[in-house]
Amino acid sequence: MRNRVREQRTQRGLSQAEVAAALGVSRQTVISIEGGRYLPSLPLAFAIARFFDMTVDKMFDPDDEEAGT
Amino acid sequence: MMRFLRPRLRKPVGIALFGTVYAAAWLVHGGNGWQWAITAEIGVIAFAIAAYVRGGRDSDEDALYGSRADERQQLIAQRSWALVGKIAMFAAFAGVVAAVAARATWWWPFAAILAVTGFGYLLGLSNYGVGEEVPGDDANDGHQVRFPVSH
Repeated sequence: MRNRVREQRTQRGLSQAEVAAALGVSRQTVISIEGGRYLPSLPLAFAIARFFDMTVDKMFDPDDEEAGT
Repeated sequence: MMRFLRPRLRKPVGIALFGTVYAAAWLVHGGNGWQWAITAEIGVIAFAIAAYVRGGRDSDEDALYGSRADERQQLIAQRSWALVGKIAMFAAFAGVVAAVAARATWWWPFAAILAVTGFGYLLGLSNYGVGEEVPGDDANDGHQVRFPVSH
């Protein structure tokens, strides 16, 4: 499943550490989510989507293979 | 457990407690056991200090040492502990098999570990809800269950 976390973060000029601090997770976890190596829990997925003012289905799209690239 | 302590202190204090119990066992052992007790206690204190220092660093493993793991790091720890259990169980099984084949009398510690790990697995299944009889909303209401149509 692809996601738009990296795309949204860089658009806003935020560092991975800043996003991690805002979401209450580690920087390593943000890196893993951006790289698609970790699928966040539903509460964390909602928190990420809210943080970037998006809906969960826009942020995490199982059908969108090109998102986040 | 140990929630009253600051997160960063929990692992080091746990290490120190378990290590001190081990060192005390050497003291109770008698004879030259006090030498082993002192050696063990020094090692344990060094390990506890190292765990405290690591708890303040920025990596997955160090977050676990600092008891401040997020959901992904907790998942990593759970998987690691599950692996520990599997390895212990297989090692105990191998020990029992070897002892039986060798007609040895030391089969029972392995059998005990095998029993404890097996019991732990069953306890885990019980604790985490496997086997609970929870009827769904559709159960016994007289309606036919509809499944999504696949295209």
